[in-house]
Amino acid sequence: MEKLLKELQHAELQRQTRRHFLQSCGFGLGALGLGSLLDSCGPSTKAGIPGDESLKARIPHFAPKAKRVIYIHMAGAPSQLELFDYKPQLAKYHGQDCPAEFLEGKKFAFIQGVPKMLGPQSKFKQYGQSGAWMSDYVPYLQTVADEITFMKAMHTDQFNHAPAQLLMHTGSARLGRPSLGAWATYGLGSENQNLPGFIVLASGGQPDAGKSVYGSGFLPSVYQGVQCRTGGDPVLYVSDPHGMNRDMRKQTINAINEINKQTYEEVQDPEILTRISQYEMAFRMQMSVPEVMDVSKEPQFILDMYGVKPGEGTFAMNCLLARKLVENDVRFVQLFDWGWDGHGTSKDHNVEGGLKQKCRESDQPIAALIQDLKMRGLLEETLVIWGAEFGRTPMQENRNGLVMPFMGRDHHLDAFTMWMAGGGMKKGFSHGETDELGYYGVKDRVHVHDLQATILHLMGFDHEKFTYPFQGRNFRLTDTEGKVVKQVIA
Amino acid sequence: MFYPLLQASGWFSNWALFIGRFHPVLVHLPIGFLLIAALLETGRRTGKISVSESTIAFILFWSAIGATLACVAGYLLSLAGGYEEELLSDHKWQGIGVAAFAWVAWLVKSDRFGEKIPFGPAFYLPALGLATILTMTAGHDGGSLTHGEGYLTQYTPEPFRSIAGMEPIKETVTEIKPIANVQQAVLYKDIVQPILELRCVQCHNESKQKGDLRLDQLALILKGGKGGPGLIPGKSAESDLIKRCLLPESDDDHMPPKGKPQLSIEQIALLSWWIEQGAPADKKVSELKVSEQVKPALASLGPGGAKEIKSVESPVLSLKVEPADEKDIDALKKAGLLVSKLSEAQNLIEVSAVNAADFGDEQITILEPLAEQIAWLKLGGTKITDASLKTIAKLKNLNKLHLEHTGITDAGITNVKSLPYLEYINLVDTKITDKGLKDVAVVKGLKSVYVWKSAVTDSGVSQIRKQHPGLMIVNGLNEEEVAKFLKAGDTIQTVTAEKIQ
Repeated sequence: MEKLLKELQHAELQRQTRRHFLQSCGFGLGALGLGSLLDSCGPSTKAGIPGDESLKARIPHFAPKAKRVIYIHMAGAPSQLELFDYKPQLAKYHGQDCPAEFLEGKKFAFIQGVPKMLGPQSKFKQYGQSGAWMSDYVPYLQTVADEITFMKAMHTDQFNHAPAQLLMHTGSARLGRPSLGAWATYGLGSENQNLPGFIVLASGGQPDAGKSVYGSGFLPSVYQGVQCRTGGDPVLYVSDPHGMNRDMRKQTINAINEINKQTYEEVQDPEILTRISQYEMAFRMQMSVPEVMDVSKEPQFILDMYGVKPGEGTFAMNCLLARKLVENDVRFVQLFDWGWDGHGTSKDHNVEGGLKQKCRESDQPIAALIQDLKMRGLLEETLVIWGAEFGRTPMQENRNGLVMPFMGRDHHLDAFTMWMAGGGMKKGFSHGETDELGYYGVKDRVHVHDLQATILHLMGFDHEKFTYPFQGRNFRLTDTEGKVVKQVIA
Repeated sequence: MFYPLLQASGWFSNWALFIGRFHPVLVHLPIGFLLIAALLETGRRTGKISVSESTIAFILFWSAIGATLACVAGYLLSLAGGYEEELLSDHKWQGIGVAAFAWVAWLVKSDRFGEKIPFGPAFYLPALGLATILTMTAGHDGGSLTHGEGYLTQYTPEPFRSIAGMEPIKETVTEIKPIANVQQAVLYKDIVQPILELRCVQCHNESKQKGDLRLDQLALILKGGKGGPGLIPGKSAESDLIKRCLLPESDDDHMPPKGKPQLSIEQIALLSWWIEQGAPADKKVSELKVSEQVKPALASLGPGGAKEIKSVESPVLSLKVEPADEKDIDALKKAGLLVSKLSEAQNLIEVSAVNAADFGDEQITILEPLAEQIAWLKLGGTKITDASLKTIAKLKNLNKLHLEHTGITDAGITNVKSLPYLEYINLVDTKITDKGLKDVAVVKGLKSVYVWKSAVTDSGVSQIRKQHPGLMIVNGLNEEEVAKFLKAGDTIQTVTAEKIQ
């Protein structure tokens, strides 16, 4: 009952716009004055402040298989044709003009006219007992091939980075919706009260869609992703200055929050509630974050496995930190790595040397992460997701109709590959197939919304019932589409 | 004799094969010409027709030329190999005999030389006769080489079959019979062999061995042929048997050859799985570990194959228990524990000590009133010891138990033997030894146990794995495995499924 009242209060607060205020002005300022006088006689609003309550664990619709998620997003979109989708027929068409049926009625980001087909630049083989097809760009992932389920016929509607990233993480290509991590924290809460429930670690640059891909959208902002730095202090100014001890810090924060609470009673802005709870959380994080993010105490062989040295701010370090965060029951860890946009425009951005280099930096730590989680008994309950916002074309990019200096591929939305491991997924499985050139998915296609529905399902939520009211209607992550892909669930 | 030359010179071997393949064409010349010569000779001698001797000599000349060319081509063709030695040898000598006698017959009949040979006419009829008869026998053997022995007589109808003492007609394998019980089927004999018989053995058997390869017996598959062993046990991706099936159909090395019926994806999956399991000769399906990839293929074979195709739900999740008493839950919350229902529809609860690192033995009794409801218990990193395990053992519906980073030992862990629904237990960084692990492993429904950084030994683990094949025991990576992992990046030079030499 109390919870209902709180929610009603919250909803009321959000509906009190200036227009509303001016309308009720008709009752006169006198009424306002009377209200403020009576306010102190009324029930104490202190009890009405949700504060930390909002972060407490909620109840899912059915027993979850994945209690935590590590989502690794390769911003820019690596080429699935050089990594996981083996297309020997494409090699035979290498250098030939692209057939007309693949070009009619299509919009490409940069391809113009009739491009040539580009055969796979890497060498493919099958690995593990499951016979997973992988290329030689990912030698370390080959060692954990049997833990992974591939979805090779993913497809999306957006062909540019920012809208596609928004679609992948928030369910809509437009700004304003909560991200997957925010939904997860809102739904399942955060177990470790000393750490945020949704932590973001980025390397190589910021995702093209900016902070909105880990934002809270219309959900209370307390559910947004907290970006920690890697390399140096994980959170700036997390430690107390000289001369201030823990008790003094606690008193300071209490004083600040008293003032905040009074302000809240006056203006009823729900963002103040977030601020209050964040101050409390920050106080607790002062103790927990340095400890969790300190890798110098890890045994040397673990550091070797990931290929990291303490103090570095690399993607590999982020993977190790992800494991440590998940070990400490952080609900959702989002990793972003930028720089996978293999158009062929430069030494770094192509599908030969550039892609190989990016893989060299990321393949080992990802495989190490999976091994590490498995060793600690965490992989069963942690869902690891790897993917990008779309894929790359089987055709070679010919920007402005010219020959590019390096081999590259353009953005491709009709077929790309993502994989998931742990947390209720099948082991050593491949779902979906593309046609012989890798252009369209022809079997078991999975749309971004289907993937989101499946992730929510693994976390114990029916994606159609997991909603939040906003602007007069109920919203959900998958909006109006999406079907759970039952075939990939163990 | 020419093998080394063949191996050494690609050019030579290509020409040899090219010309050699004209043998079936060329061979019809001596057949036709010799039989015409014999027929004309018979007609002439019986007075039926009038044809001059020089006409017949002319025909005999061209028979001899044709036979000689056929012999040369035949020899070149034989270099490709794959034919049964004895039969080949018989055919070869008979063919040479045809050519030789054809030359003799012509020589003694010809205008130019006939007179010069002493007793020439005496040789004529025998030579012609032998050449003709040998043509027929050599021809028959040639047919056997191509189509297998018994080709002519395979479909002899009754009553001639019984008169000749032949066995009733053996049905050719046109499809694989469904298996009555897939789980009880012997993988090689009942599943793999029928596939090979259906699609491979026609060209790789006792009488015909294309590429010197036989696929009708396991030992011979392992022995292999010209391209090396047919398969490498344990490595389906490196086995020719699989590699060739996965090549594009237009590739020259693809098997079965283009134009012949192909293997289905399920059949290839079954063969791959069999090889991955070590290509055992006599293991049943139920004795082997079924991978995700092969499940649909097994399912298509018959009843019992589709075991576990559907999502498996833990039986504990369908238990109906009374809702927990609020007072009991409050007691837990007071002690710093997180308590939450597993889901809206269930009254089972999860208890987590993630925020209560000081939780210890003195407080464990607060869990007892919730013995029916607690399904998932996380006490990792707390101060509990073996003493708590007695209480934990009373939580009869316990499904997942986290005890990592605690001070428990074998003495305590043995108490969990009685938990019927336990499926997951985390013992990382505890003092458990092989004995404790053995005790835990007897829990019937247990699916996974994690023992890294405990006192468990590698040999203890492998022994217990043998006794409990359905249980996943994860012991972390030892030094050797870590070194192997770190070396994985060195293998960037992998090979595609490219042309097989």
